[in-house]
Amino acid sequence: VDINAIKKMTEEDGIVFLTYAGFLSQTLIAGMTDALEREAEHGRLGMTESTNIYTIFIEMAQNIMNYAKVKHGEGSKNKPEGIIVVGKCDDQTCYYVQSQNTIDLQDKLKIQTKLEEISTLDVDGLKKRYRELRKSGRDSHEKGGGIGFYEIAKRCLRIEYDFLPADDDRFAFQFKAVIAVKKEDVLA
Amino acid sequence: MNDLTIAATQYTPEVLMHTKGYVSIKGKSYPENTLEFYRPVIAWMVEWVANSPVADLLIEFDIIYFNSSSSKVLFGLFDLLNDAHKTRHVQVIWSYDLDNENALEAGEDFSEDFPELDIRLSAKKD
Repeated sequence: VDINAIKKMTEEDGIVFLTYAGFLSQTLIAGMTDALEREAEHGRLGMTESTNIYTIFIEMAQNIMNYAKVKHGEGSKNKPEGIIVVGKCDDQTCYYVQSQNTIDLQDKLKIQTKLEEISTLDVDGLKKRYRELRKSGRDSHEKGGGIGFYEIAKRCLRIEYDFLPADDDRFAFQFKAVIAVKKEDVLA
Repeated sequence: MNDLTIAATQYTPEVLMHTKGYVSIKGKSYPENTLEFYRPVIAWMVEWVANSPVADLLIEFDIIYFNSSSSKVLFGLFDLLNDAHKTRHVQVIWSYDLDNENALEAGEDFSEDFPELDIRLSAKKD
């Protein structure tokens, strides 16, 4: 592996300070969150902005991890693999968390329904819907509670996603959340 | 019934539950299995409300950030506090860092969802 090429690529793509492809575990997620916290301190990000980034990162990473566990079980040969990247936008006014993992058709439909609903809501609508779902879902045992995407959406500027056909009726689910860090600049 | 103490980890909060009527949950909350982590906390609360002769409960939250499944479990805990409030005096303190709008907003959401509970939002100054 040409490690310099990787370094160059990360630098060109807007100071990507954190990227990982492979088996995601809780310990790894906690370690990456620690690294993010240091980055935020170093970059003097405000606490609201930095907790937005951690929360979105954690939500996306745990989604990938839990999804793989539910589908394949612990110790399965189908590892909970995914790619997850955290970076800074070129114009320095935002950060992004971007991920890709493989999902089946059934889950594609489930996720798509949620993301399509989310795309029709503004910030106030998202906050309201999040609270409704949390309240109505108090007795459900769905892992993650099904409100994860709403949690992400209400904390970010915008969401981009795509489902690319892969083998065996499966899809590469690509997801990107863009988080504003200087609200006045972004809105101007 | 005994006190319950759970030490903080990188991804779970410190939990203190005293039978004399004081509870504190402090730190970050994004466990791998949220229901499993909070099961003893919820069980302690249910038992205390059912059996304790103590009339007052003070519960302090100081949560920097949490994942969506923790948000759901905390909502369940507020449900229990809301029940406890019918027979006891329950005081909730939701502490947040002055710079952390998200923690403030989370506290405001709980206040709006549980209007009968006495929830005090308390800004910390470093």
